[in-house]
Amino acid sequence: MGLRKFSLKAFLKKNLDFIAGVLSEVGLTAVFIAVAALICLLLVAVKALI
Amino acid sequence: MIPQLTREDLKIIGYNLGRVGNIIGVLMLVPIVISIIYQEFDIIPHFIAASALALILSNLAVHFLNTKKEMELKHALCVAALAWIFMMMLTAIPLYTTHSTGSYLDANFETMSGFTTTGLSLAQDVDHLSHSINFYRHYLQFIGGMGIIVVALTVLARSEVGSVLTFKSEGREEILRPNVARTSRAIFGIAATFLVLGTVLFAIVGIYEGMNVGTSFFDGVNHAMAAFSTGGFSPHSQNILYYHSFPYEIVALIIFLIGSFNFAFHYAVLSGKRREMFKNIEIRTIFITLMLSTLVIAAGLLYFNVYSSPEILFRKAFFQAASAHTTTGFGTVYPAQMSNVWPNLPQTMMSIIMLLGACANSTGGGIKAIRVGIMAKAFFREVKKALSPKTAVVSEKYHHISDTPLTDTVVKGAALITIGYIVLFFVGTTVTMLYGYNGVDSMYETSSAVGNVGLSCGVTSPAMPSMLKVTYIFLMWAGRLEIMAVLVLVGFAILALRKGIKK
Amino acid sequence: MKKLAVFTAIMLLLLIPAVVGAESGEVLIENSRGFDGKQVTFQGEVIGVMIRENNAWVNIYDNGIAIGIWCSADNARNISFSGDYTHVGDTVMVGGTFHMACPEHGGDTDIHADNFTILAVGRVVARTPDLPTVVVSVVLMILAIFIIFWLRHVRKEKGKVVPWPMSWR
Repeated sequence: MGLRKFSLKAFLKKNLDFIAGVLSEVGLTAVFIAVAALICLLLVAVKALI
Repeated sequence: MIPQLTREDLKIIGYNLGRVGNIIGVLMLVPIVISIIYQEFDIIPHFIAASALALILSNLAVHFLNTKKEMELKHALCVAALAWIFMMMLTAIPLYTTHSTGSYLDANFETMSGFTTTGLSLAQDVDHLSHSINFYRHYLQFIGGMGIIVVALTVLARSEVGSVLTFKSEGREEILRPNVARTSRAIFGIAATFLVLGTVLFAIVGIYEGMNVGTSFFDGVNHAMAAFSTGGFSPHSQNILYYHSFPYEIVALIIFLIGSFNFAFHYAVLSGKRREMFKNIEIRTIFITLMLSTLVIAAGLLYFNVYSSPEILFRKAFFQAASAHTTTGFGTVYPAQMSNVWPNLPQTMMSIIMLLGACANSTGGGIKAIRVGIMAKAFFREVKKALSPKTAVVSEKYHHISDTPLTDTVVKGAALITIGYIVLFFVGTTVTMLYGYNGVDSMYETSSAVGNVGLSCGVTSPAMPSMLKVTYIFLMWAGRLEIMAVLVLVGFAILALRKGIKK
Repeated sequence: MKKLAVFTAIMLLLLIPAVVGAESGEVLIENSRGFDGKQVTFQGEVIGVMIRENNAWVNIYDNGIAIGIWCSADNARNISFSGDYTHVGDTVMVGGTFHMACPEHGGDTDIHADNFTILAVGRVVARTPDLPTVVVSVVLMILAIFIIFWLRHVRKEKGKVVPWPMSWR
């Protein structure tokens, strides 16, 4: 009577959200890394042109 | 009118310090597991003795200083400030008794560096330290990054008020869940997730790069603890350079960048609010400042012909910049090379970004991205005001989990803490220069301590003068507490001296 | 002829710093720029070995500084011990080219070994518990447990005391 009804849908959604969130954060750091790599490439290219 | 201090005030502080000490006493037993795994039975008595001492002192304090009076903000700030000192001294005991450091002062430096997730190290011969002591160093960073005081007091909280006050006094403004205990558990859950992810990734790369499985996992768990807590300790004296591995550096980058994000941000994204990644003021601020600083540092190194290829610039300039800005402290450049090889421009830029720091309410240190973002927006607002008609109402807002108006109170708060950090920076730089170090190196090392970063240009060493070690312990401590708690403690002490203590 | 011989000898002596006897790790790192691209000799204790296909990284530790040596996998396989808490690593002497920022290895400071000699094999270091420390730790822990339970007992007993009702005063 006092127990919450277990919802498989809610349980799966919570865990999928969590996993997707972890992957998203890793993806965000990948964006940081990619832009930094681009900066390094551009700097060397600019120096070669000068 | 500030009321006189009473004995009850001191009892509240002492009682709560005792509660923290009890948790520390128990936590100091955890590395014994590592001692058993690696059959380092000679180390076990050192942890037992230190733990026992902590438990004796703490239980006596809790029993004899028990008081029914409720904790107020001033008590919470003092508990937060003194707890770091108390924890530093207790946890230094095993490091000193196992001769892992040259002196008890060095051991205190090491544990303060651990708890504040700084990463400056005075450990002697890290490569030959026992596995359990090496684990212990990284473990201190992990629990320090979680805000061990918060954990201690919410686990043992008598009232929500006391817990909230301690939470706020540790520089953690945001409450993620309905009450502080649940918030602490959420923080722990987030940290555990990335600890497991980091350990697995580091271990896989370690095995791939030719290390044996056992070492890969041991180094993996230590680096995961140091990376997520943006601490920067490493089981090897060469730090990340030991591995000579680009994939290892990438894993480190991923984990320590994640570690530098706000816990409220983590909570939002992990709960499904992924748009926060693009709207959050801290993520935007740190992205801009990190990319700009990478540009300046890399350009400087390229211009002065220190490094020449894009790969080298990325692995040295960006890695070091990211390590500095997130206040992690992992290094792929020797400290002496930072001083002798890196030109002044990139080295000074590193000092600046170390002070700017990571996101608020994260494991990172420094002024914090939210304050930098708020002050930048405040500047834009002032420019807008100047360009607008007199009668126009110019308002600005920022997004951090939710949209918040940029009020003068918010800007004032950000500016005050920033000024505090700058004052600490000037004090630390001046003291370092008084000992004969040059200006650029002094600024670098001071920013590293104040911002709880851990990168060194060679100033920090066991041969460093004792008073300089004490200065850096103070800088790491004050930086971690964002100055306010330290100032309240000083205020308490002055009040006690001037007016005495009422019974 | 004699003058030429003396001149040659002096020039050779001046060249010696570029091709030297073992430099310490500290000197190499402090003067990275100066030694960049030069032939050096470095000696120290092995503290790490990572074999990567036909080559290997061997990290060598000398008086506070460790430097990575890029050598052949065969050289690495001959190493018996890596230094750690319970081992003294093999002592090796390496001759090769020092790089301040190796272009082949992502800018890492390293030495590409041309010759690699194991001077002394390492050994196991026995670490036995120190009896006085064991005794102190046991005594302290017994005292701690006693204090915890005793104080708990005192608090429990205090809690049992029933205060006199107000009307009896």
